[in-house]
Amino acid sequence: MTDRIAGALILLLALGYGLEASRMQVSFLSDPLGPRPFPYIIAILVGLSALWLLFKPDPNPTWPPPRFWPVLGLVLLSLVAYAYLVVPLGFILTTTLEMTLLSLLFGARWWQGLIGALLFTLGVYFLFTEGLGVTLPVGRIFG
Amino acid sequence: MDILQALLNGFGVAFQPLNLLFVVLGCLVGTLIGVLPGIGPISGVALLVPLTFALKMPPESALILLAGIYYGAMYGGSTTSILLNIPGETSSVVTAIDGHKLTKQGQAGPALAMAAWGSFIAGTLSVVGLMTLGPLLAQWAIRFGPAEYFALMVFGFSTLSALAGKNMFKALIATGFGLMLATVGQDPQSGISRYTFGFLQLEDGMDFLVVAIGLFAVSEVLMLLEEKAPGAVRAQVGRIYLSFKDFMASLSTILRSSVLGFLIGVLPGAGASIASFVAYTTEKRLLGAKARFGEGDLRGVAAPESANNAAAGGAMIPLLTLGLPGSGTTAIMLGALVSLGVTPGPQMFEKNPEVVWGLIASMYVGNAVLLMLNLPLVGLFVRLLAVPAWFLIPAVLAISFIGVYAVNNNPFDLLLMAVFGLLGYLMRKLEFPLAPVLLGLVLGYLMEINLRRAMTISNGDVGYLFSSPIAVGLWVLAGLSLLSPLFIARFRKQGLGREAEL
Repeated sequence: MTDRIAGALILLLALGYGLEASRMQVSFLSDPLGPRPFPYIIAILVGLSALWLLFKPDPNPTWPPPRFWPVLGLVLLSLVAYAYLVVPLGFILTTTLEMTLLSLLFGARWWQGLIGALLFTLGVYFLFTEGLGVTLPVGRIFG
Repeated sequence: MDILQALLNGFGVAFQPLNLLFVVLGCLVGTLIGVLPGIGPISGVALLVPLTFALKMPPESALILLAGIYYGAMYGGSTTSILLNIPGETSSVVTAIDGHKLTKQGQAGPALAMAAWGSFIAGTLSVVGLMTLGPLLAQWAIRFGPAEYFALMVFGFSTLSALAGKNMFKALIATGFGLMLATVGQDPQSGISRYTFGFLQLEDGMDFLVVAIGLFAVSEVLMLLEEKAPGAVRAQVGRIYLSFKDFMASLSTILRSSVLGFLIGVLPGAGASIASFVAYTTEKRLLGAKARFGEGDLRGVAAPESANNAAAGGAMIPLLTLGLPGSGTTAIMLGALVSLGVTPGPQMFEKNPEVVWGLIASMYVGNAVLLMLNLPLVGLFVRLLAVPAWFLIPAVLAISFIGVYAVNNNPFDLLLMAVFGLLGYLMRKLEFPLAPVLLGLVLGYLMEINLRRAMTISNGDVGYLFSSPIAVGLWVLAGLSLLSPLFIARFRKQGLGREAEL
């Protein structure tokens, strides 16, 4: 059943992808093939495979217990928050927070997670910025 | 012999104390860079080129350092693939398949050791090839035009069936998805933006690293969260050493993959990643039921690891003989050479022999150094797995953040990474294979661009794709590759039947 739903969604994706391709405007400077044929081929390939899934689904996967979904949502939200916060708050602060959160979810005590995260983040920050010359966000609030 | 004399001179250059230091330094730094998920050989080499200017190094020393980093990073990349199921770069994607299975079975040590040995043997063989066949192969590589490349990519796609796992159609969908990702961005030939939906950050297309880390690393974190075994050791620390028996059993795989990888590496544009895909599939098909590819077979590690190192050596051929970079990393080396005053190309062998032969000699040395460095380190790496999960997993994720952010200094990539992470989790739950997505992403771009270039040259005549002997040969190979599983199955049945009669 799950595979059937997946197949339906993928079919929709393929159709959408193909539709978007048909809307592409071909300029006269382009090559004889143009930007459209390749996406069309892909759309057909994916669409046909999706149809197969609809008609011959695999057995359902084992889903995790319901209490897992809020945890999953939390982790994903934290990753999104990370992306938005890493520049204003700086690498060290955001990464420490993210690591601490994950440590807690994996069963560490809060002080273990915090200390481990802080030390690791500091170490890694200096290793990369001083040692390898990578630029990492310092944090706008720190000026 | 002239070559031998030149090589001896080259060793003279390579063994100068300063250059020896650079080889070791390069290998060490390279391995460290490769081990960190997200920072691959290209970033590593790119980061350190300015260093070579700052230190005012002579060209041969700079090249030696960079080559050491390149090789070291390839080996390091396979370490994270095997231990953590996180491919740090394209050439280690395939290694993760059997490599991580082996880790779960307590065989991380032998897997890492196999990667080291395969890399060493392949690397050494490819240097021999570089030395002896270099100029010859360069002539052959020049004959590859868009039509030939397209045929090669089609052949590359036929390797999909080996990565497919149980459900071929799910693998097709995964590949198709990768191809879709490859079409995102500004189309180089017509100039229009495809599938960017107004996002400026997507104009350059989907970055391989962002997709790979999101799909593999983040989804791995989510999967582990689900399993929820707090403080558990992620894999038993079982055997550390590779047994002689296992090594000998894999030797023919290593040799075949080395040759294959070397030849593919020689072609500019086709590099270590394609080499590793093709080698894996070839070995899987050749060995058939005798091996357990996908279940944790050491040869499943030997094949891609040998092929990618051999390809790295092969990629030096177009660089040194023609001045054509064979891959991203060699492109950077080209840049470094030019700014150091050396112009690679046919005259390089005459005008700057000490650079060329010094490099070749130090590639031998580098391969040996890597082996010596890494075999003892295998034990250390495997012990890393014993670090408690609550620290190890967030730590790996933190480093992945750096790797992803470092691509474009754009937090948007981190957002993409999260999206792919969720996608990867769902794909794993629904038993969609992940590796084909990366295959599609890598091959898709090359495939489309070569197809369109070919059509431009031929003005739309499809026959052009089949016009040269090389192209036809590749198409035949591709066809055989796709159809062979059927033939082999039939032969086996017949063969078994006759034996039973005796």
